[in-house]
Amino acid sequence: MRKNSSLSHEIGSSLGDLSGPFSVYIHIPFCLRKCPYCSFFSVPATPGESEKYLDLLKKEILFYRAFLGEKSEASTLYFGGGTPTMLSPGQWEDLLSFLEENIPVSPCAEITVEANPESFSERHAAVWKKRRVSRVSIGVQSFSDGDLLWLGRPHDASKACEAVRTAVLGGFSVSADLMFGLRDQTLRSWAGSVKTALGLGVDHISLYQLSIDEGCRWNSSPPSGRTDGYPFYRWSQWYLPRKGFSQYEIASFSLPGRHSRHNTAYWRRDPVLGLGAGAWGFLGEKRYRNEGSLEGYASSVRAFGGSVAGMESVSGEKAAREAAVLLLRTQWGISFDAFSHKYGQAILDSIQDTLRREAPADCFSESPGSLSLTPKGMRVANALWSLIV
Amino acid sequence: MEQQYIRNFCIIAHIDHGKSTLADRLLESTSTIGLRDMKQQILDSLDLERERGITIKLVPVKMNYTAKDGREYVLNLIDTPGHVDFGYEVSRSLAACEGALLVVDATQGVEAQTLANAYMAVDQGLEILPVINKIDLPSSRPEYVIREIEDVVGLDCDHVILASAKEGKGIDDILERVVEKVPAPLGDREAPLQAMIFDSVYDNYKGVICYIRVVNGRIRPGQTIRFMATGGVFPVEEVGVFRPGFQPCDELAAGEVGYVVSNIKTVAEAHTGDTITDNGRPAASPLPGYRKVKPVVFCGFYPVERDDYPQLRDALEKLTLNDSSINFEPETSVALGFGFRCGFLGLLHMDVSKERLRREFGVELVATAPNVVYEVVTKDGGLIEAHRPSDFPEIGEIQEVREPVIKISLFVPTEYVGKVMKLCQDKRGTYVSMDYLAPDRVRLVYELPLAEFIIDFHDKLKSQTRGYASLDYEFIGLKAADLVRVDVLVSGEAADAFSFICHRDSAYYRGQAAVRKLKELIPSQLFEVPIQASVGKKVIVRQNVKALRKDVLAKCYGGDITRKRKLLEKQKEGKKRMKQIGKVSIPQEAFLAFLQVEEDEEK
Repeated sequence: MRKNSSLSHEIGSSLGDLSGPFSVYIHIPFCLRKCPYCSFFSVPATPGESEKYLDLLKKEILFYRAFLGEKSEASTLYFGGGTPTMLSPGQWEDLLSFLEENIPVSPCAEITVEANPESFSERHAAVWKKRRVSRVSIGVQSFSDGDLLWLGRPHDASKACEAVRTAVLGGFSVSADLMFGLRDQTLRSWAGSVKTALGLGVDHISLYQLSIDEGCRWNSSPPSGRTDGYPFYRWSQWYLPRKGFSQYEIASFSLPGRHSRHNTAYWRRDPVLGLGAGAWGFLGEKRYRNEGSLEGYASSVRAFGGSVAGMESVSGEKAAREAAVLLLRTQWGISFDAFSHKYGQAILDSIQDTLRREAPADCFSESPGSLSLTPKGMRVANALWSLIV
Repeated sequence: MEQQYIRNFCIIAHIDHGKSTLADRLLESTSTIGLRDMKQQILDSLDLERERGITIKLVPVKMNYTAKDGREYVLNLIDTPGHVDFGYEVSRSLAACEGALLVVDATQGVEAQTLANAYMAVDQGLEILPVINKIDLPSSRPEYVIREIEDVVGLDCDHVILASAKEGKGIDDILERVVEKVPAPLGDREAPLQAMIFDSVYDNYKGVICYIRVVNGRIRPGQTIRFMATGGVFPVEEVGVFRPGFQPCDELAAGEVGYVVSNIKTVAEAHTGDTITDNGRPAASPLPGYRKVKPVVFCGFYPVERDDYPQLRDALEKLTLNDSSINFEPETSVALGFGFRCGFLGLLHMDVSKERLRREFGVELVATAPNVVYEVVTKDGGLIEAHRPSDFPEIGEIQEVREPVIKISLFVPTEYVGKVMKLCQDKRGTYVSMDYLAPDRVRLVYELPLAEFIIDFHDKLKSQTRGYASLDYEFIGLKAADLVRVDVLVSGEAADAFSFICHRDSAYYRGQAAVRKLKELIPSQLFEVPIQASVGKKVIVRQNVKALRKDVLAKCYGGDITRKRKLLEKQKEGKKRMKQIGKVSIPQEAFLAFLQVEEDEEK
């Protein structure tokens, strides 16, 4: 616990050192139930628990507010989970107004909330609109009932449609999460999900392959019948740009100007203040993690306000290589001037050299001032990154 | 003990015909071993032998027996290895005896090796006493087997002994018959010393212990002896007899069997078959029959963990203290790192040595596919002894390649003759002869390249004859053959670990198999990787490992970044440990799998 105290203070003072904009990530760790493939931290919600949790969040916000300097303000806010829509509209009103009062938020900030179809309502949408939420990212996963049943999701396809419609009608920029590589999934059903999302008016799609990581229920007994991800991804890379959605990152497609600025901050290694149980943040070249369990988080926040439980300093060549890998996730890639200014010319040369020597030429493209992955390169990005990490 | 009361004899039997059990009964019956100390198969001293039911090392034993004539005799039993790899050792054991029990299984009949060893014994002038064993089994057919011994081996079976070693039947008859029929050893005890080494073992305390049969003269501690083949001179520290442990005695005289300890450091200085004489009063000539055994089958031994290389070297050194027929030299492989090229007397010998390294020295190792030694005559008249594919010169420089050839005798039930002939033909065999041993059994003789024999011949023979065939072979020398080295190229670069030698006619087929296997084992890379098999510059097979299509890519936000970076770093580390052939990374496991699959298929 003493360790938590000094770590939290260290992060707090890094926050205080900031002179520019930063991002805020707030974790809402409640779910109706846990999905078998999910390894994120979440617990079943009870009304009393969520009230207590909001109080703790407020304490943590106050703790960091004390460090904040005059000049810095939040340029993006992101509420992730868990299932943020497990909080009631009233609790949202409470949380958002508290935030506005205590953390300076830029007038043109991007504020995103993750929503799950089974718990998202028009009343949520109304409160969010009032409190300047600009984006809603919906955990659709699929518009096929069979897929959703197999994934153990608590919603069906019609619920998903309704949720997207509500968000679009609410005037938000809407993103849908879609998954491929599911059991017996066909390209036709995948195309159906993608087209449904587009038809409903989303301006952003996050698509990713079902992967079974450590810490999820399926890890010990993986389900059979999962499909190879290649055709789904390949098709999406072909289809979405024709509909005006450019692939601006490995797993992200959007209409022009509708990319997630918050997620982009991660890939640019911009400062992120992480709040809530199990949240991650990145401040002053330090990546840190809050206490994961509700109890641990509660006792630490009660004792002294912060809850940082672990921290990793990334610096020097390691930081440079990490930055290169993260930048190469995006369509903007590595901008030579900015990169060499921050990490040095030598490491940039070495990375370029490695790629030229060991990667097929059609996997990356070099423009006069930058280097980025081609669509083909994005498909085999792990293999490319492992060359330069 | 006076010579006339000594009987030196051995047991000749096919594997599984009950030799070791019979030997145990003889020890029991002569009270050489107390029942208390009795464990099964006393003379098979290695765990491995007991487990596999085969005899690798000979353990002689001295028994005291009071015969029906009321006199006390000394019976020296010299056990012989029952496997064809150890033919020379068998011949030396036989040379130490005057008689042999020819043990034949009453249910199986005469097998190829029984016959070969029986003839070897006849050649050496041994008195042969036929014993039909396992007569207790319901499927035994002694009359039939007796007829077979008479017809096939050509031995007179008037006085055949019917026995069941398991039930102790016929044991007394055997002892009595040995005393009666086996001649007492001759030899002049006052002549200059001549003692033949029929085996030697290494002992941590005593050094090398030579097992000897004294043919002429006497040997006692304090004497200075000379090894006539190697020229080594040593003082005798101890002589003794086998009880079956080592029991020192004052002297060993002509006709006696025992051991001598004389401060020798390695068994390589005391070759089986060498003659020991007195340094001060040497014999005019050594005993006949000595030759140095040469390994015929080679393979690479590599430690599984690279750091274990010194351990493997030590273990091999210790093993060769005990078994001088193994030789080894360091070699390096692109795939496996540092290891040793080892030579063995045969496949079983190789297998057993590998197993002993593992068990007795705790070394985990990888064995590459076995191969034979070739002689390559180059166009400029040079002669190269090629122990491995990389020893082969470029194809344009080769005038002729010679390979070792064996003459193989197969005893086969009539109904399988067709299949066995086809197998021999497939293995590039040359037909020599076929004769009927009995209406339902045939002896087939073929000349076969040893290289083909060591590739899965045993397994194929067993499976095609349901285990009813037996075989024996002898080397008949080197013969020219149309052999080529097949190289495997990964992305255009030759990978030494995958090259092999084979007949030109099977180059395509075997190249195809190797390429297909590699294609399965090499993971997809960023580039398409062509895998080719070539003879000289000519590519005969090509397949491609398709380029990687897609990684599983996850989202990457907040805390994922650290996890992701660590994963990538791990991947990069893993790649460093892989073998790079050009731009292609091949995991160590793929090499191992390739070599082991080869071995499994080829054993």
